[in-house]
Amino acid sequence: MTNTEKIALLEDMLELESGDLKEETTLKEIPVWDSMAALSLIVLCDEQFGKKLSGEQIVKFKTVKDILDFME
Amino acid sequence: MINPMDLTGKHIIVTGASSGIGKETAQQIAKLGAKASLISRSEDKLKLVKAVLEGTGHNIFPFDLKNISGIEGLIKNIVEKQGPADGLAHCAGVGDMRPLQVTNFDFIHEIMLINFYSFIELTRTISKKRNYNENTSIVVVSSAASKKGDKSKTAYCASKGALDSSIRSIAKELATKRIRVNSVLPGFLKTEMYDLYLENVGKDSFEKNVLSHQYYGMGEPIDAANAIAFLLSDASKFITGTGLIVDGGYLS
Repeated sequence: MTNTEKIALLEDMLELESGDLKEETTLKEIPVWDSMAALSLIVLCDEQFGKKLSGEQIVKFKTVKDILDFME
Repeated sequence: MINPMDLTGKHIIVTGASSGIGKETAQQIAKLGAKASLISRSEDKLKLVKAVLEGTGHNIFPFDLKNISGIEGLIKNIVEKQGPADGLAHCAGVGDMRPLQVTNFDFIHEIMLINFYSFIELTRTISKKRNYNENTSIVVVSSAASKKGDKSKTAYCASKGALDSSIRSIAKELATKRIRVNSVLPGFLKTEMYDLYLENVGKDSFEKNVLSHQYYGMGEPIDAANAIAFLLSDASKFITGTGLIVDGGYLS
């Protein structure tokens, strides 16, 4: 999956408009990024990529790119 | 000296017996004199639990309760080996959290299978003639989440609410067989499920939002196990179709 496609998945998950997220966007800049979003991301990574994401790992994510890299 | 919670001679079936509330319940009812039949997926973990139980006559029955259609055979097997049941403690349960937007049918179904459907099938089967003794007591672990909602717990709260609603109906139906049916509603206890919860919501948020309400602090699995043992014992012989809240004040 390309990074553009992964970003589209994230935008859909967070109910953002297409183009709202860039690779360099920091999670702090995303107003809807909260514990609920983190839980949704755990499910997304599991269902779409078969990857188990832990709370500890999420805390280390700083930018959208960090998430995209994990999804690989 | 008397012990109103004495369970001597009673055969109690415990699900979820390899960890958390189920494991603690198995240990406590054994101390109170019961003969325990332990159910959980993991044979290895069940062996470890059985090894530390006081008394004799305990047995393990490794089984995945998601296999609903296999439950009748499981109970038949238990009754053949251990005799009819005097009680069931359904402690098996899962507490996975998901925001509503990712709470799909498969996810809800998975939670309902373990938390609710398996309980109904266990109760249906145990309450069949020759599978139970007179004055049998059925106890299921519900949760304070049955009464109080929380973000991302739609499926979990619904499954526990289903339990609490169902026991009121089942208790009436089984009264003619002298089978009592009750639930225990724990607040936050120090179990593996709580560790997972903490990882998801974060420790700071948990302490701010939960422990300020649960003013006796964190509970222990033994707090739920004692309530379950009480409801299994003849000390509670006039109690049926109700839920016993064990939550350190959380719902007050």
